[in-house]
Amino acid sequence: MRLLVVEDNALLSELLAKGLRTAGYEVDLLATVAEARAVLMTTTYAAVILDLGLPDGDGLAILRELRHRKDSTPVLVLTARGGLQDRVSGLRSGADDYMVKPFALEELVARLEAQLRRPGQQLGNSLHIANLEFDLRGRQALIDDQPQVLSSRETAVLELLMRSKGRVVSKKQVEDHIFGLSGDVASNAVEVYVHRLRKQLSDKGAKVTIHTIRGVGYLIAEEKA
Amino acid sequence: MIRFKSIISRIVILHVIAVAITSVLMSVALSWLLSMATNNIHNEAMEEQAMSLAAHLALDANGGLTLELPPNLQGLYSQPYGRYSYAVVDEAGKTLFSSLPGKTAVFAADPRAGTVQFLETHIGDAAISGASVRRIVGGRTVWVQAAEDLANSDVLIDDIVDDFYKHVGWITLPILLLLLVIDIAIFRRALKPLRQASEIAQQIGPARTDIRLPLGEIPSEVRPLVSAINKALDRLDEGFRLQREFTADAAHELRTPLSILRTRVETLDDPRIAKALHLDIESMSRVVGQLLDIAELEAFAIDPAEVADLQAASAEVAGFIAPLALEQGREIALLGATTPVWVKGNAEMIKRAIRNLAENAIRHAPKDTVVEFVVEENGTVTVQDRGPGIPDEERELIFRRFWRRDRNQQGNSGLGLSIVQRIAELHGATIEVENRVMGGAQFSLHFIPAASYPKT
Repeated sequence: MRLLVVEDNALLSELLAKGLRTAGYEVDLLATVAEARAVLMTTTYAAVILDLGLPDGDGLAILRELRHRKDSTPVLVLTARGGLQDRVSGLRSGADDYMVKPFALEELVARLEAQLRRPGQQLGNSLHIANLEFDLRGRQALIDDQPQVLSSRETAVLELLMRSKGRVVSKKQVEDHIFGLSGDVASNAVEVYVHRLRKQLSDKGAKVTIHTIRGVGYLIAEEKA
Repeated sequence: MIRFKSIISRIVILHVIAVAITSVLMSVALSWLLSMATNNIHNEAMEEQAMSLAAHLALDANGGLTLELPPNLQGLYSQPYGRYSYAVVDEAGKTLFSSLPGKTAVFAADPRAGTVQFLETHIGDAAISGASVRRIVGGRTVWVQAAEDLANSDVLIDDIVDDFYKHVGWITLPILLLLLVIDIAIFRRALKPLRQASEIAQQIGPARTDIRLPLGEIPSEVRPLVSAINKALDRLDEGFRLQREFTADAAHELRTPLSILRTRVETLDDPRIAKALHLDIESMSRVVGQLLDIAELEAFAIDPAEVADLQAASAEVAGFIAPLALEQGREIALLGATTPVWVKGNAEMIKRAIRNLAENAIRHAPKDTVVEFVVEENGTVTVQDRGPGIPDEERELIFRRFWRRDRNQQGNSGLGLSIVQRIAELHGATIEVENRVMGGAQFSLHFIPAASYPKT
């Protein structure tokens, strides 16, 4: 899968390329708005990593043009500007995600993958936490490579939690995900499914924990030793 | 020295003093002019009387002078009436005719006196005032004197003078007071552009540094002051702009090298060194981030119309921070309101404040305890932990920049709470620090509740 990195700092650009190549991506490097504009007119990338402070202009201009052409290539914006207004204008211009320097390469890769796994995007095989795997195509959970039998609701909850690895999923998000717009949902329904899922996972020896963050939601993480 | 609060009161006070002085001076001047006028009338009357007396002087056959007065004049100068008197004096000072008993002159005659003279004298207790007129009758020069006893003088003229003091004199005071009222109205009108300029100036704040005072209506006397203010605002605006630019530049210059360092460390082969360096970079990144936050807050201003959902902001921070807390063996819980709680302010900044409070609480909370966020309907968010609490003597210190109890603690710059305080200031919010009964610290931020969801 080919990514485009638009970053004017040569050193950072090289390091990013090295990290992304290690993670299994092919990477093209560009350093100016003009170059990026020209290349994006003719080439389609799986995703674009875009720095905002470029020598010949603002990276947001490229993003706006892309969205204006109805091009939905995921764009992950990198910036040194952590300012409130900057963050808002970046997302309004159609950025899919936003990272403030200095960022962890690991997190960049994780967020990139999250974008690439979105419906309609290219990355689509499986998600892993410890010995738990979730096959996105077959919608199947595996523990130590052994397929597990889970109810469809439990599978839906697990998929959502694993797609949001490292982030808290609100109770509302879980409700929307499993019940959609089907109307009335018992107030403790989510708790019930999470409870069942938790029990199933621990019974089958998955080394993961589903944390309840009271008043906020749920978070799946590797079990602590 | 009396200090006047306003120009109007200064004008009123000084004007009242001026009115008092002017009304006294005017009355005095008018009455003096009036008495001058009466005097003139009297003198003219006396001169005329002397002239009409002189008309009756004639030469007799012996070359002597005779004075044949018609009966009406005889009556006027008669002793019983006593009001008027006359005398005719010759060059030698000899009295030829007189209405006075003893045939004396009314005024001691001065042969060298001019054609017409106005004189005063006393006969007994009576004050006499009159005129002496030189006439030449048949080659002889005589002085005809006519006088009036002032005690009996014209009642009408006297009344006018007396009346002036009693009634007419007072008219000056209301006229002057009316003038004062008109003056105040004129001044208020003249100062109106200044009041309008002040109202515009009221709106100037860090959020609206672009406003300038209009010069159009401003009186030319005040114009230099107003344009000086506008120039000062230009300089302030420039200062804010430079500060914002500096913050953006500094962010770039500091964060890009940190990113490079971090990425380099992440791709190191030895995972032990990588982990150690990674922690160092983390804490340095945090300090840089907080310093830039502070720099940004210095030049930041909140739109007074902005409102934020405190419940949603708290939930977002709790969700964001929960994975980090769990990693460190602390739990997060969000309690209290479950529906939106609208407060005045900027959502991003409110989140920053709550996040700094939460990071602070997580740092001080013992392992396996819960850091709780409580959102109340009245616009309060409280972050509480089960840590050691805050000694009374440190309650002020904790908000100081770079203050830390333990200076060796990694990843703690001592900036977090000063950021919270600055954000609270910008929002007109108050911070309350308490120790919990069962142990631990509790920080409450009381924001200003907003009436309802904003008009979009």
